[in-house]
Amino acid sequence: MYEVLSPLGEPVVQAARVVRRPSDLNGKTIGMVTNGAFRSDIIFPIVQELLQKRFPDVRVIPFTEFPIHSLRGSTRDLLGRIEVTVAALKKAGCDGVITGVGA
Amino acid sequence: MTPTFTKTATTIASAEGVHDLRTVEYRGAVMNDSDAEIRDQFEQVLLDRIVEALTKPAKSSSSGSRARASSGNRQEVAFKGSADEVNRFYFEQGWSDGLPIVPPTVEKVHEFLKYTDRAPDEQIAVLPQANLRATPWNIAVNAVMAGCRPAHMPILIAAVEAAAEPDFQLMSFGTTGMIVPWLLVNGPIIKQLGIEYGVGLASRGPNPAIGRGFGFVIRNIAGFRPAETYMATWGYFPPFVFAEDEDACDKMGWKPYHVEHGFAKGASTVTVRSTGSWGPQALNAHGTDAKYLLDIMCDLQKRITLEYVAIPFGPLNHATVLITPGTASVLARAGYSKRDVATYVYENTTMPRRDANTWGTPEAGLAKEVDAIFKLPERYEAAGPDEMIPVFATAGEGTVDVVVCGDPYKDKITNFWKNYNKPVTKEIRLPASWEKVFPRGM
Repeated sequence: MYEVLSPLGEPVVQAARVVRRPSDLNGKTIGMVTNGAFRSDIIFPIVQELLQKRFPDVRVIPFTEFPIHSLRGSTRDLLGRIEVTVAALKKAGCDGVITGVGA
Repeated sequence: MTPTFTKTATTIASAEGVHDLRTVEYRGAVMNDSDAEIRDQFEQVLLDRIVEALTKPAKSSSSGSRARASSGNRQEVAFKGSADEVNRFYFEQGWSDGLPIVPPTVEKVHEFLKYTDRAPDEQIAVLPQANLRATPWNIAVNAVMAGCRPAHMPILIAAVEAAAEPDFQLMSFGTTGMIVPWLLVNGPIIKQLGIEYGVGLASRGPNPAIGRGFGFVIRNIAGFRPAETYMATWGYFPPFVFAEDEDACDKMGWKPYHVEHGFAKGASTVTVRSTGSWGPQALNAHGTDAKYLLDIMCDLQKRITLEYVAIPFGPLNHATVLITPGTASVLARAGYSKRDVATYVYENTTMPRRDANTWGTPEAGLAKEVDAIFKLPERYEAAGPDEMIPVFATAGEGTVDVVVCGDPYKDKITNFWKNYNKPVTKEIRLPASWEKVFPRGM
């Protein structure tokens, strides 16, 4: 009989505060963020068009208005770009963000 | 995202403290589907799901607290059972690779902790992508499981420190193009611990166990689980360990890897590197013509380097040329230093200009807005289609390293390459009692 230990690392990141989700997208602002790959230039405009058709008063900010998270660069570069993007999303007053796409 | 990436997205979000990420799955091969197929799926199915994801009330914030609470105290007993039951439990938890493990008991872990002067709960690093804290304690648990010996601890701790450096870009390892980390050991510790550097080195001596131990750290502390958060399309071969044949280097007047990179010859080091394949092995590296051998290296490098990502990824490229001592001595006798050889490969691994822009068809490639990222350097834009340009055009000096190892009686060369990170070397810190204790820990 063995008494054995967990090999997992210890969590250090605190849970983020969860904000209230909007119940209706009319009057809200949705931002789009991409790394530029995986057909995002095809998919995001479709999503924007469909959202605006269903919610005439939604404001969708296309991914071209935010930094592109390109595939290259060091971790430092990447983290820097995340900070810049978060600041840009806040400045734009986004109530929600659509990002991806993983494939 | 495609369905296989849902777990990846939610796990990474959770590692960043976001426990209520909303995901929507695209059911198809998005890079191969037509624009019409994509539009149809969004119109018919995915728009409703996107709207629901944006508007469904958030879960209670207690979900994050639960996630933390369930992690528990890592030094407490996680399971009790027979060897078979332990193996089954670890496999079911995703903690093992499915091969038999050594049960990591408190007694075993304490034995391993004798081989470091670091406190058991000292933070060695926080490893992406799970953002979990690596300590001597949990590194030892993984090392025990893998079948390592206690004296391997200093190597594993230094390897964790190296892997945590931003330049190694561990957070990118989950990409669909396989990235396998591997370790290069240099210095006196090679002979002290009997690490193999000769024939069959990756598969002999303590090398496989150390590689497996590092692989368990990548799985359990960095959080890379195949097909969940470690997404190579065809999976992975295990991390492996090489040591350099430093006697052979000395004999031909070449510096060992760690000395080339600024460490004292008497220091022991571990370097984390990566590869996207086990490169083809040259079977024609015969003879005494140095130029012929150098061109074989370049030919191999060209065959394994995907130029359409090598160029845009620039300094994140790194290539490794592995050369057997006998073959290396031909180059040394011809007057080439190790750095000369690396520079030759850097400068002479070339391709026709026309092959440099092949990231799929234009409509299936990158968003137009990021096309600029994948442009060739300006000096090559004017080159004619047949003009040969260096594959590592944007990578810079130091992209290529040469390591002398393998069967000293064979004429062999092989190359590795990956484009996502830079190698990182760390000195292996030995406990004060090392000289006394290491023979017992082997």
